[in-house]
Amino acid sequence: MLPSPVTEELRRIVGREAVIESANDLRIFERDGSIAGAIPDAVVLASTTDQVAAVIKVAAKNHIPVVPRGAGTGLSGGAVTIHGGIALQVTRMRCILEIDPVAQTALVEPGVVNQELSLVAAPHGLFYAPDPSSQKACTLGGNAAENSGGPHCLYYGVTTNHVLGMEVVLADGSVHWVSGDAPDRVGLDLCGVLVGSEGTLCAITKVKVRLLRIPPSVATMLAAFPSIETASQAVSAVIGNGIVPAALEMMDNVTVGAVEAHYHAGYPTDAGAVLLVEVDGTAESTRELMAAIGKILSDNHGYAMREAQTPAERELLWAGRKGAIGALGRIKPNYYLHDGVVPRTRLPRVLSAVGEIGEHYRLPVANVFHAGDGNLHPNILFDMRDHEVLHQVEAAGEEMLRAVVEMGGALSGEHGIGLEKNAFMPWIYSEDDLGAMLRVKDVLDPDGIMNPGKIFPDPSRKPVQLAGRTGLAVEAKWW
Amino acid sequence: MVVKAPTVERPSTAEDLARALREAAAQKLAIVPVGGGRARGMGGVLEQCDVELHTTKLGRVVEHSQADMVVSVEAGITLEALQAELAKSGQFLPLDPFNSPGHTIGGLLASGWTGPLRLRYGSPRDFLIGIRVALPDGKLATAGGRVVKNVSGYDLMKLHYGALGSLGVIVAASFKVFPKPLHDVTLSSGGAWNAAVHALSTAVAPSALELDSTGRVLARYTGSPDAITRTVDELGWQAVGQAAWDEHARRAPECWARIAVPREALRRIIQALPSGAEWWASPGVGIGHWAITSDAASVVEIRARAEAAGGSLVMLAAPDDFIRAVGPWGTPPSTLEVMRRLKQAFDPDGVLNPGRFVV
Repeated sequence: MLPSPVTEELRRIVGREAVIESANDLRIFERDGSIAGAIPDAVVLASTTDQVAAVIKVAAKNHIPVVPRGAGTGLSGGAVTIHGGIALQVTRMRCILEIDPVAQTALVEPGVVNQELSLVAAPHGLFYAPDPSSQKACTLGGNAAENSGGPHCLYYGVTTNHVLGMEVVLADGSVHWVSGDAPDRVGLDLCGVLVGSEGTLCAITKVKVRLLRIPPSVATMLAAFPSIETASQAVSAVIGNGIVPAALEMMDNVTVGAVEAHYHAGYPTDAGAVLLVEVDGTAESTRELMAAIGKILSDNHGYAMREAQTPAERELLWAGRKGAIGALGRIKPNYYLHDGVVPRTRLPRVLSAVGEIGEHYRLPVANVFHAGDGNLHPNILFDMRDHEVLHQVEAAGEEMLRAVVEMGGALSGEHGIGLEKNAFMPWIYSEDDLGAMLRVKDVLDPDGIMNPGKIFPDPSRKPVQLAGRTGLAVEAKWW
Repeated sequence: MVVKAPTVERPSTAEDLARALREAAAQKLAIVPVGGGRARGMGGVLEQCDVELHTTKLGRVVEHSQADMVVSVEAGITLEALQAELAKSGQFLPLDPFNSPGHTIGGLLASGWTGPLRLRYGSPRDFLIGIRVALPDGKLATAGGRVVKNVSGYDLMKLHYGALGSLGVIVAASFKVFPKPLHDVTLSSGGAWNAAVHALSTAVAPSALELDSTGRVLARYTGSPDAITRTVDELGWQAVGQAAWDEHARRAPECWARIAVPREALRRIIQALPSGAEWWASPGVGIGHWAITSDAASVVEIRARAEAAGGSLVMLAAPDDFIRAVGPWGTPPSTLEVMRRLKQAFDPDGVLNPGRFVV
């Protein structure tokens, strides 16, 4: 509970009904898409930038934590109010303020849902490229805060490559525009630093993004492989041949079984793994590229290759991929998902380690991930009603991340560090590395009210040790 | 005013560089990081220069994984040396800055200079995946990593990219690299803006497109052969050799400025340049370069137009008096005060490049 004068002040800012304090209602905001939770002291539903700024000023004056929150689909605990305080909900700010078809840009409020922007831009022949699997629900403000990725980021790049500028509210309640439409802006690239800062430096109140021309032709192919290893080698072979597809996704046998049972998309359930490959461009280039890719895949043990013949068939193939995690509910009601990323050639090794870890803990693991980027997504499946298992699940997740880091990888490719991986940051960064990041934190949020307890390890906790890492640059203690 | 010749330090390891930086900073000496020296004219006139910290002995390719398409290099390697190494594997870094050859990687990251290929590939801001920086207190701080997608911690690559060495000295970097395109064709036309606009709207977008004050348009199409061939046939321009790009990249007038505006505003601003002005531009990116032969007042006027369009005009090289007359950067960004606090946190005594950058 917040002190009642604070609650009164918040109500004056946003209106009485836009401050939530009842225990039952607060429970809805306990979690995001990860497994840790904490109940906020209050939820404030802001409708304007001025309200966001005024709320943060009140929080600053009273040293109350503020956690900006979009749709709550995040997977690293970024929106969880682990130190209590205010969950600052921005989903009422959901206007697409402008689409400029000439400049190919859009200006949106932070609560606009990712997929909605592409739908609205489509009549102009434009789309917004980053496409997290949660794109039907997740917000563009949350995407910018987490620097979200998605299947098509292999070719098109992640959120930060598409954000031109933002309106942000800093920890003192001041409102700023960072960056904008013109390239090579004068001064430090604050926008680049704020994207992906997970709500620990600012609240985002407007986002200006780049839109791209919808490619005239798209080709999508599904290919089966005897094993994850052979599929991983095929991925390396495609990219090693100088082809960067728009998307290159892998699903293992467990995932394919669940997806096929749910979507009936014609996924081969006997396969050890399947690859979903997409190329786009002109009709000529997609035909040429798909022919080249088909040959590489079949040379690398690919079989049962099937190219989508109609847009509906393509949609169905993608529905299976993007809905994969939901379909895993057929196996167990809960999942714990990490998103470590490794140099692509280390995928087979890290995936076999992931498999062994799952077996060791006797937990089913389903892999569905962005193979082209080396960004794995092992889903550890469990039932939260079994209280004993949660500790095992977390231990298995930690071991999987350890395997990722030992192979020269990083803790997160697109989900963020949040509160689930902050203890592991010293595995990949030295004290001096983290010290440089903390200088930025201290400049922008000296009192530490913005999303406390995220990204950086809790200094009061015992550090988690790591054995060793591989790779020349890593041995040289840079990465 | 520089009164005596600066001490020149050429450390051969990052640790030595960090030590030299710390020692000079502790004495509050003015320190100027130097790579290939190709962008030394950029920004304000140095208030002081006691120590030049050269990175040219940090010239190694540390690790290039062809299959992962990732390379890690020390900051003092030249772009040409890196490209030669990558070419052995059929790969390249899509960066072709002006005033070439001789840029170092560290210098390119600090200055933020780019070239024509930015149209297709973006700037190093988009493909820089890791960075290591020596800070004035002697600490070496790494951010990012060697993977192509990474949200582990703050993106400090962005903080140092284009900061002109004002927060620290870049000592190493990792990049996502790209396969050399299957097909690579360069075409030329004398059709000026209309030809440029037309070529930018072809079904296969060009990877680079440059227009200059003579009306010449150079367009580069890369990708799969069939699609390129159709586009090239439809355009009907004259094919020219790749050497045209090398020649273009050598451009570096004694007095020049970069105009960067939203791309739809570029034509209007370029057309406002004094008559007879020499310039070249990337209409698809929104960047133009102007070889200035007119007076300071005309630069100030063009800058006002660029800023009114939401962009900037930045001096890349000019005599000191000229830079003082027009100002190097123009109107400071509205977030200047936040930038100053960041500068203060990394370089509290203001020893790095004093007077040169915005903060």
